[in-house]
Amino acid sequence: MKPDAKPALFGRIPILGRFGLWIWRNPLIAPALLVVIVVTQAPFILTVIYSLFRWNLQRPENTAFNGFGNYLDIFRDSRFLDSVVTSLSFTVAAVLLSLLVGLVYALLVHDRFFGRGIVRTLLITPFLIMPIIGALAWKYTVLSPIFGILNWIVRQFGGTPIDWIGMYPVASVVAVLVWRWAPFMMIIILAGLQALNDDQREAARMDGAGPWAETRFIVLPHLKKYLQLSGLLGSIFIVNEFDVIFMLTQGGPGTATTNVPFLIYQSVFYSFDIGHAAAMAVVIVLGTIVVVTYLLKLLGSLMGDLD
Amino acid sequence: MGHITLSNVTKQFGAVEVIPPLDLHIEDGEFVVFVGPSGCGKTTLLRLIAGLEDVTSGSVAIDGTDITGVAAAQRGLAMVFQSYALYPHMPVRDNIGFPLRMAGLDKAEIARKVEAVAETLNLTGHLDARPGQMSGGQRQRVAIGRAIVREPKAFLFDEPLSNLDAALRVNMRLEISELHQRLKTTAIYVTHDQVEAMTMATKIVVLRSGIIEQVGSPMELYNQPRNLFVAGFIGSPKMNFVTGETAAQHGAATIGVRPEHIALSKDAGDWKGRVGIVEHLGSDTFLHVTVPGAGPLTVRVAGEMAVRFGDTVFLTPDANKIHRFDAADNAMSRRP
Repeated sequence: MKPDAKPALFGRIPILGRFGLWIWRNPLIAPALLVVIVVTQAPFILTVIYSLFRWNLQRPENTAFNGFGNYLDIFRDSRFLDSVVTSLSFTVAAVLLSLLVGLVYALLVHDRFFGRGIVRTLLITPFLIMPIIGALAWKYTVLSPIFGILNWIVRQFGGTPIDWIGMYPVASVVAVLVWRWAPFMMIIILAGLQALNDDQREAARMDGAGPWAETRFIVLPHLKKYLQLSGLLGSIFIVNEFDVIFMLTQGGPGTATTNVPFLIYQSVFYSFDIGHAAAMAVVIVLGTIVVVTYLLKLLGSLMGDLD
Repeated sequence: MGHITLSNVTKQFGAVEVIPPLDLHIEDGEFVVFVGPSGCGKTTLLRLIAGLEDVTSGSVAIDGTDITGVAAAQRGLAMVFQSYALYPHMPVRDNIGFPLRMAGLDKAEIARKVEAVAETLNLTGHLDARPGQMSGGQRQRVAIGRAIVREPKAFLFDEPLSNLDAALRVNMRLEISELHQRLKTTAIYVTHDQVEAMTMATKIVVLRSGIIEQVGSPMELYNQPRNLFVAGFIGSPKMNFVTGETAAQHGAATIGVRPEHIALSKDAGDWKGRVGIVEHLGSDTFLHVTVPGAGPLTVRVAGEMAVRFGDTVFLTPDANKIHRFDAADNAMSRRP
């Protein structure tokens, strides 16, 4: 940078370094940036502050600074540790299955066929339905032991009806999550497929590759980045999943499907324990960052083998 | 072995007939060039042979075996694409070795063959590079390497040089011709560039709107074009056409004279004209001369020519080299 390019009036602010320069150059962005910081970062900072206090709404007179006491409490609490495991298993299972199903959807509707537009729209629909309504529909029309379509099919084959949600709560929640998130993955992967040069696929065909080899050696390596992106976004959303669990299982039976967001909800609205809830919320934010980073690496190494 | 026969082949895209019924036979070892203007169906025809498009009716046979319903992967042909179509995530070594891997060869065998091909194409130092790190010419070589490595029955080239700059194009043209001389494998080459067609082909197929206008060796097409279209398409600069009174004197609706078959003089000749644009190429000079009653004519003169815009010159066509065409644009016999 040439010296004469410095802002004439104030010059650089040496302490702020590059940021100081940046703030002079971009004064028009500053108000919007401030709003974004206030709206997104202030609640988190407040949550961090709450998490350092003993604060139960039922006993407000006991409110006091507690240091990291709340964190120690929740890490000693088996309900919290169980909910972390539940969150992780929902996220890993639902993201991987959604990626797989989304990939299959995308490969099926990529090539031109009669009615492709309608089929694509129908496949995307689950993502457009409100989560709570979708979960309601699953609960009463698909998984219900009495009225559900699944049990109707079971009965057609002479089987005894099954209480799906009661007996397989985790699988039921994962099924609804996959139903909802696979279309999202499909959209991203489909965009990736459309960016693939047709010549490459044709060249592979000329080189003697059948449909499977063409997908395995040409299409999948090309899709690597798109799969990573959809896995990343899917993980962030599914870690925070609440609606489906609230509607389908209320975290039960017992605590079988209680993930961290649902446990936070319970501690705020049933136990009125703001301090512990805030501590859990901070842990899940940090945890999400860790999970997402790990998943990205895992996907990267899995796809690395394809090259 | 690799003789290819198309019998009564047609191709329709929806209601549009791109290739009307067409027959063509390509002998083993020939270098056949499909040439024609944009949209004449030459690439479609190549893709029908490759198996990348299905024929609407008719049949395609290789070495006498009907392969009309056989998938592209099983036809035993190799193709070089205009866009090179290299696999960007694989190093050059894997790109060239890909057809062998698909054929199920063991790793040592693949490595040996890839090395050998890389050596013939001067790619040995680049085997571990990715296509994105290479120049256009090198990528084109990799694409050719990928085609020759598995010794196909025939090579299919789809305008392979059109993305290269002029100097490189001439080089690659020579390399491909040399390769064909050495391998003697049947090759089908699609281009819109008649210079490529003339210089590389043992047989040229001139196409217009999916119809074969003429098939023949480059010199046959140059010396005996069957109609006005072929006469105008083959040769550069293109043939001069003269209609009206002048053509009628030769008993034809149109006569054609190539620019190199017109003698130019400043003193006397058959046609008197005025010089327009003069193009100096060093080895040749192209003059655009306007002749009253005959229209604008192009004349090719060897070496330098000291004429300028607006000069009056006299042109004399070589009587033995005048092509005559009837009212339906078909060639008539030469005047004895």
